[in-house]
Amino acid sequence: MIRSAKGLLGALLLGAAVALAGCSKEPEQVLYLYNWSEYMPQEVLDAFREETGIRVAYTTYDSNEAMYARLRLLDDSNAYDLAVPSTYYVNKMRNEGLLQPVDKQKLTRFANLDPQLLDQGFDPQNQYSVPYLWGSTGMAVNGAAVSTDGVTKWADLWDPKYKGRVLLTNDVREVFHIGLRVLGYSGNSTSEEEIAAAYEKLRELMPSVRAFNSDAPRMPYLEGEADIGLIWNGEAVMAQEELPELAYVYPEEGAVIWVDNFVIPKNARNVEAAHKFIDFVLQPEVAAQISEEIGYATPNLPARELLPPEVRENRTSYPTEDDLENAEFQSDVGEALLVYERYWELLKAGH
Amino acid sequence: MLTRLFKPLFDLKAPFRSGVLWLIWGWLILLVLLPNLLVIGVSFLERDPQDFIRFSVTLDNYRRLFDPLYLGVFLRSLHMAVLATVLCLLIGYPFAWGVSRVTPRWRPLLMFLLIVPFWTNSLVRTYAIKVLLAGNGLINSFLIDVGLISQPVQLLYTEGAVIIGLIYVLLPFMILPLYSVFEQLREDLLAASADLGASRWRTFRHVVIPMTMPGVIAGCLLVLLPAMGMFYIADVLGGSRVLLVGNVIKSQFLDARDWPFGAAASVLLTVAMALLLLAYWQSVRRVRQQVAL
Repeated sequence: MIRSAKGLLGALLLGAAVALAGCSKEPEQVLYLYNWSEYMPQEVLDAFREETGIRVAYTTYDSNEAMYARLRLLDDSNAYDLAVPSTYYVNKMRNEGLLQPVDKQKLTRFANLDPQLLDQGFDPQNQYSVPYLWGSTGMAVNGAAVSTDGVTKWADLWDPKYKGRVLLTNDVREVFHIGLRVLGYSGNSTSEEEIAAAYEKLRELMPSVRAFNSDAPRMPYLEGEADIGLIWNGEAVMAQEELPELAYVYPEEGAVIWVDNFVIPKNARNVEAAHKFIDFVLQPEVAAQISEEIGYATPNLPARELLPPEVRENRTSYPTEDDLENAEFQSDVGEALLVYERYWELLKAGH
Repeated sequence: MLTRLFKPLFDLKAPFRSGVLWLIWGWLILLVLLPNLLVIGVSFLERDPQDFIRFSVTLDNYRRLFDPLYLGVFLRSLHMAVLATVLCLLIGYPFAWGVSRVTPRWRPLLMFLLIVPFWTNSLVRTYAIKVLLAGNGLINSFLIDVGLISQPVQLLYTEGAVIIGLIYVLLPFMILPLYSVFEQLREDLLAASADLGASRWRTFRHVVIPMTMPGVIAGCLLVLLPAMGMFYIADVLGGSRVLLVGNVIKSQFLDARDWPFGAAASVLLTVAMALLLLAYWQSVRRVRQQVAL
């Protein structure tokens, strides 16, 4: 609610800015940026305009699905120049020919990016995408209510002592990721047999599940409704401010990692400005400013050095290599998504 | 019939009236009729992984709806909605009667107090209920403080919490139509019934209930229909554990990108609602006849 209200206010301000800009003599270059709501500080857009004279028209969405549908349905006359899909949507949009390659010659600061987050399965050699912010979905354990000792893996959720105290996110791919990983399969499985097996495994977990929450997964822990379960690392950082005992665990079977990436849609009109903007954000100072304000981790290595030590050494935001041992990036499962969706409905309906 | 409907549109002597009518008709056609026709149209097409829909006609989407899974989802939604409606009636009926028996001077104030919570968005009020019911929420903390319980009781994320939420949000819709029939309930008929030797119970059964029936039916529909649709209450207070019709429609459109199937599900829901309205219309007619007798 608040998000959309802020978005509206932003749009109004933007409208006013357009009206004012209309008074100047020279035609101004415009970059159409399509991003998650509250995912880019206004100061960064202002600084970019100051430096390059290019105004950023900022439009927001709150799910990958909405962004995808919009990009698919828009015609060339009102296309966006930049969008910020998450991991497996890069994959999907690339496969469907919705994107154009990023020209790395034009990105002078591409080397700033963490090699660990580059060249992944969803976009080999980063032909089409440049990481913006990233995070993980792991396990939260409320140390104030239950012991955190020995909680190291997803399979611990099935322990009967957590009956009625487990929280899951309301996200079919994330929930099936644990089911699949516990059985030793990939979280990106497209095999109906494996998905069915994960469903059977998750059915055993259902009596323990207190709630599904993807609005703000930290809330049930803070409300005292759940003691253990899924959480996003950004949410865990926020929760720890109120509940320092909340531990964030990278499960042995592997956490889910996602990266939000800049991509340039096929029908973008100002490709030049899009590259300029990506390169602008790749500056360590800008990337650090964004990460501090938005709260998620930056893939920009020099930027990390600029962050306060308590932020940069927080394993919740910045995991070690061991933490990510078996972690998997989510990738597009294509038409198998219908199979997931079907088993998800069965799981929820209690069959 | 049709001429009577359309003639005022072209009445030049009353430009304001015809202007307003154009606006209303335009609104209804553009924003209600056309979108619904699109939804109905799409529900007969096939899914396409690239372009959302493929133009080949099929009944497959409707066939899939008769899967026991979706039938279960529908019955579950209906069960929750009916339960909430019955409880609203049990609370609202004596409430409306009580208010209608208060001195006329105080009645507007009481009704005003009933309406006041509506000034706050219902989603915000739903989150407020969450604060009350949570494990470390107000109710549990109070009960622990006074020593009645030692461990928090599970209140939030249960079916009961969803029902409480539905009743809280929808109760005024039950009370308002009941209040209006109770206000018109004639005292002399009750007195006559007593004079003729009827016990209070018989008067209630044979005079009060039939005379307030239109209010009961209107109230029940005003609660039942929205209760089927208030999925955010099930999500916020029920912890998304229960799958309701609306959740299925939403996930088919957004997550599975199966627009034709999602459209078929929403058409079916609309048809079910229409049948309920038809039942309402029929029963009101019957009640009117009985009262006339």
